Amino acid sequence: MIALFNEYYFLEAQVKYVKMMTTIPPYLQKGDTIGITCPAGFMPAEKAQTCIDTLHEWGYNVMVGKTLGSQSTNYFSGTDEERSDELQAMLDDDSITAILCGRGGYGLGRIIDQLDFSLFKKKPKWIIGFSDITVLHEHLYSNYRIAGLHAPMAAAFNDDGASNEFIQSLKNAIEGKKARYETKVHAYNRRGEAVGELVGGNLTLVTHLIGTGSDIKTKGRILFLEDIGELLYKVDRMFYQLKRSGKLEKLAGLIIGGFTDMSDTERPFGKTVYEIIQELVSEYDYPVCYNFPVSHNKENYALKVGVGYKLKVGKNKVTLEE
Amino acid sequence: MNRKHFLSSVLAAGAVVPALANQRDDGDAGKALIIPRYLQPGDTIGITSPAGYITLPEIQPAVQQMQNWGFTVRVGNTIGKRDFTFGGTDEERAADLQQMIDDDSIKAIMCARGGYGAVHIIDKLHFGKLVLHPKWIIGFSDITVIHSHLNRNYNIASIHSKMCNSFPDDWSKAEPAQIETILSIKQALLGEKMKYTAIPNEKNKLGLAKGPLVGGNLKTLESLAGSRSDISTAGKILFVEDTGEYMYSIDRMFWGLQRTGKLANLAGLVVGGFKVKPDDSPDEAFGRTIQDIVLQNCAAYNYPVCFDFPVGHQKNNYALKCGVPHRLEVKLEEVSLEETTSREKKKNDQ
Repeated sequence: MIALFNEYYFLEAQVKYVKMMTTIPPYLQKGDTIGITCPAGFMPAEKAQTCIDTLHEWGYNVMVGKTLGSQSTNYFSGTDEERSDELQAMLDDDSITAILCGRGGYGLGRIIDQLDFSLFKKKPKWIIGFSDITVLHEHLYSNYRIAGLHAPMAAAFNDDGASNEFIQSLKNAIEGKKARYETKVHAYNRRGEAVGELVGGNLTLVTHLIGTGSDIKTKGRILFLEDIGELLYKVDRMFYQLKRSGKLEKLAGLIIGGFTDMSDTERPFGKTVYEIIQELVSEYDYPVCYNFPVSHNKENYALKVGVGYKLKVGKNKVTLEE
Repeated sequence: MNRKHFLSSVLAAGAVVPALANQRDDGDAGKALIIPRYLQPGDTIGITSPAGYITLPEIQPAVQQMQNWGFTVRVGNTIGKRDFTFGGTDEERAADLQQMIDDDSIKAIMCARGGYGAVHIIDKLHFGKLVLHPKWIIGFSDITVIHSHLNRNYNIASIHSKMCNSFPDDWSKAEPAQIETILSIKQALLGEKMKYTAIPNEKNKLGLAKGPLVGGNLKTLESLAGSRSDISTAGKILFVEDTGEYMYSIDRMFWGLQRTGKLANLAGLVVGGFKVKPDDSPDEAFGRTIQDIVLQNCAAYNYPVCFDFPVGHQKNNYALKCGVPHRLEVKLEEVSLEETTSREKKKNDQ
């Protein structure tokens, strides 16, 4: 019985492995069209203008969806139907080679199960964004093993952002240049080397998706996490959830990005975010780096979710290389 | 990685997956409901702080009241202890609760308050003694971790109710709702069959449901997803409440319930109080009510749904027996939630 059982899962695992190599969408060529849509929160059109101009300068055509600068008067950029219809159209439109989400906010979780990826699966394209867009990245990786681009969105191009190295990293990523990021060491870093597929995104969304059809497996992978505007105890609770659901145990490596605009309760929590994390992963031995430039701040390198990377956490520097 | 190494690692992964899948499907199935013995005058109630910090003077009204009810009170050594926001270090809080679980002379354990911290100690606790000599564990909010864990893993009933920090300082000046809710704890502990009514809400979905009652604080339930304390809801009446969350966050949590399959096979849904954190600016108005959010996520299901049930971070927060079978009747003119007679495995530790 045991022999049969093992044999069965052995074969299953092999088949799965063969089937489940991550699909990398085609990189962009000059003249390709990038679609801009807002699948979550509302965004005024003028806030995306610099982004559109910059994409033109880079040599791309831009197709702007109606959800950008829409007539919506509430939180969302449009009704669930308007947002999912537009994203669906862009997923299916062969003339669009990449989709840049205007902004995050909240809203993808409301439409993700309405989207049909049957055409996209056959002709994948880069989906660019972060924060709430983590839902889409995780969903595509866990269900179809298609890579996504965790990267700055339209507003990050404003205020001279378009010329910084982080927007530059997005340009390089869609052009197909292999990334190699180098960053400073942090006192809490745990040294070591890890190789694995990169998964993760916004901590709140990664935990929220646990147990859903968009949940990711983290075993043997490099997990990266960032968040914004949370209470310290809630960050602690989310890391406990990751740990108790087995998501921290078998990692290849852990990349902790920015945790910006954190706040505390009236009764102080007594630990910083990095202290919380350091304590919770102390029983494991994989490399961990802190303050990696992935965040809701300007410091936000383009990262290809689902793609293999090598993380080196050294004495003098940290490198993440595709 | 060489090929041999790779194969052994996928083999391990393959063996783990079905085990996890089974665990998720099982829920509490197969384990008979354990209802702790109800209390009698003279029995001892232990007070402990598994989460937030509280002082001895702050629990005095509760101690006094429970003594007036004829119970003996044992104050745990986490009361007055403080580790920043916590009622002592994780080790101290786990040890205090463990000691009360294991001490046969303690017949019920009231958590002094919620706050945050139960999840830090839940995996450090041993419930073997509780299964053999079950006793009521009382609390709500962060204590949802313990209710969900007990229901999921041992099918032991527990009491979702107000805690020490909600007992009125001056009983004579307390509002009727406050007195009634505190008295409901006593009634529940003494073994009265609980029956509550709620004011009908025009958005209620009418119907009749029968099943074990489970639930608690929605954010806390969400944070247990994927863990061994994750709530199992199939065939049950689920109640939820929350406080201090933005409307968008409440929306996301209900979508989370739906997407994790927790709404699909309910017997009924009881929506308690939701104290919503105001939107940051009018431009960011979420534009949906709790009722809109719940009804959208339950649109595909036929079970009864009621709103404004008196459970939550509010004055009218009545004692509910988690795990115990209930009958929910949502009618146009009346909503009632009534404990039903169960064929439980009686465990008397006398």
